[in-house]
Amino acid sequence: MASTADVNPKITKRNVFSLRALQENLTGYAFVAPAVIIILVFGLFPIVYSLYMSLFNWRIRKGDFTGLVNYTKIFGDWGGFAIFIGGLGLLGLAYWLWTRAFKSSSNLIRIMQIIAAIVLIVAGTIMSMGWGKMIAAGDEDFLNSLIITIFYAVGTVPLQLGIGMVFAYLLYQKIHGKEVFRMIYFLPYVTPVVTTAVVFRTIFSSRETSLANILLSWFNAGPLKWLFEPKAMSEVFLGLKLDGIAAGPSLALGTIILFGIWSFFGYNTVIFLAGLGGIPKELYEAAEIDGANGWNAFKNVTIPLLSPVSFYLFLVSFIGTFKAFNHLYVMATPNAQNTVVTASVQIFDVFYAQNNFGYAASQSIVLFLIILGLTLAQNKFLGERVFYG
Amino acid sequence: MADLTTGLEVKQTERKDIRKVARGSRTGSQSLTYLVLIIGAFLALIPFFWMISTSLMTLGETINRKWLPAVPQFINYIQAWNEAKFARYFWNSVIITGVTLIGLLTTSILAGYAFGRIKFKGRNAIFAILLSTMMIPETITWLPNLMLVRGTIIPLPGGSWLNSLQALAVPFMANAFSIFLLKQFFAQIPHELWDAAQIDGANHFRFLTQICLPISKAPIMTVLLFGFIGSWNAFAWPLLVTTRETWRPLMVGLWTFVSEAGPETHLLMAGAVITLIPILVIYFLTQKQFTQGIATTGLKG
Repeated sequence: MASTADVNPKITKRNVFSLRALQENLTGYAFVAPAVIIILVFGLFPIVYSLYMSLFNWRIRKGDFTGLVNYTKIFGDWGGFAIFIGGLGLLGLAYWLWTRAFKSSSNLIRIMQIIAAIVLIVAGTIMSMGWGKMIAAGDEDFLNSLIITIFYAVGTVPLQLGIGMVFAYLLYQKIHGKEVFRMIYFLPYVTPVVTTAVVFRTIFSSRETSLANILLSWFNAGPLKWLFEPKAMSEVFLGLKLDGIAAGPSLALGTIILFGIWSFFGYNTVIFLAGLGGIPKELYEAAEIDGANGWNAFKNVTIPLLSPVSFYLFLVSFIGTFKAFNHLYVMATPNAQNTVVTASVQIFDVFYAQNNFGYAASQSIVLFLIILGLTLAQNKFLGERVFYG
Repeated sequence: MADLTTGLEVKQTERKDIRKVARGSRTGSQSLTYLVLIIGAFLALIPFFWMISTSLMTLGETINRKWLPAVPQFINYIQAWNEAKFARYFWNSVIITGVTLIGLLTTSILAGYAFGRIKFKGRNAIFAILLSTMMIPETITWLPNLMLVRGTIIPLPGGSWLNSLQALAVPFMANAFSIFLLKQFFAQIPHELWDAAQIDGANHFRFLTQICLPISKAPIMTVLLFGFIGSWNAFAWPLLVTTRETWRPLMVGLWTFVSEAGPETHLLMAGAVITLIPILVIYFLTQKQFTQGIATTGLKG
């Protein structure tokens, strides 16, 4: 088509151009159409529609327009919510002061740090005040599920990153069977998460003959209820009687955290290995000449130079825990009650089991905003601390 | 003189000693390295060992907690396959995954090519919108998509899509990641090739199918691999749209078995092994590309 246009003298240059441009445009749209339609319909439209649904009293069938009632039900007390957000803002301010402290002159550092610490404490107090008001008047189940999600994230992410980094460092040494080890570590990540979660359910079942309890019996420790234990770990292991958030995660959630670490450390190992390949060998040689032993080299060369990779992994993993659903759903036993119900599982429950569509939509919008905020905040706060040398 | 030589000798022997100590500590740290690596491998593998071992036990052995079955009960697999309907779930999963992959490959090759090589109005804007969908958590999409598939939002051809192949496959037939991956590759193909093809009278479609595709095996394999994992492992969405066994895939079948089977752990574990086999076969066959694909893209399947 184009070549015939070139030899046809009747068509001016401009015409050729526009004809071609039209053809290019049409071909382009035709090529992207199938993908764009599917992604818009199943990927982007749900957000708009969730927003719409969240403004109605919608139980299977659409009911009355209720405005922000669903959101009021979540947060309970808008005043408390405002206080909480204010505390969050102060937290940002404390962080800003802290980073500024190191840039200012030496005699000011201490003062700035002290101010930052005070702001931090104030921020924490204000946030917990606001949170207390929200919990008292709002949806305890959903707000609690956010705390559970944070417990899960804080429990899994640092450990799976740390373990992944150590194994990557060890695999990077001159050793035999490197490929085999890497393959084995990656196996838990590759296998379907539903399958491995089902296997963990039997390994960590409350039966006295479950694998976890047999291992305990070797150490003369009594059987535990593992995934079926709603009591906090602080109570089970230390005998402390604490209430609410202060008690920390339940043993059931602890077991799920264990699963998370087991399932994901291999992924981090592989990514860290790729990152290690980018560190120049000369740095290790220089460290060795300076008399650094293995641990010193790891601490002073590997960790700082891997920080871009660590930052990336931290970001992906932390946000991943807020998106995670499959294994959390499979391992959430009814016996563990709400101590293992994370936000995504809670939302699923509200529309799937309780058929409360409008309310579930508003919860999913809140979760979406949290994930969005986390993405932006992590980019901002952690991005500055990354070592790019 | 004598003093001097002995002094030298002493120094030399000292040095040898130092070297010996250094070597000794190196082999020491090496064996420590191996020890840690082996413990890690052991911990990574023990759930798999447990699963396979239990899947070959009798019901009595699973209750009286043995480490290994006295006689491997391969009949468990036949039982799980036939009576627990894992055969049906397995073939469902195979068909769903196959159809999804054909769709995914078609849409993402076409779109990847267009974004990489065709200049059309609004190209960058559309691409940016598609990329932004990668940030959206799946959680938020379930409810509206479920209503869409039930036909409550707009009427669908053939009424409700619940318990249908299209409901399971169509939503996964396109994703921004695959398009991005292929776009990067297609954009690198030298422009001279396209000029030459144009002189031969080829249009975009012919250029894509006859020139680009034969040299794009690597990125296409990566798309297929990730698509396969995503589709085979899918759980939440199939759980929502399958209320009957007609199209129930393996993962949902395994989950319903958990809630229905009760104490039949040996059959449950046999079912679990069945769900793993295709993934493991592909993993061991494409090990290098698999791992590299994840390391370079950094994306979870």
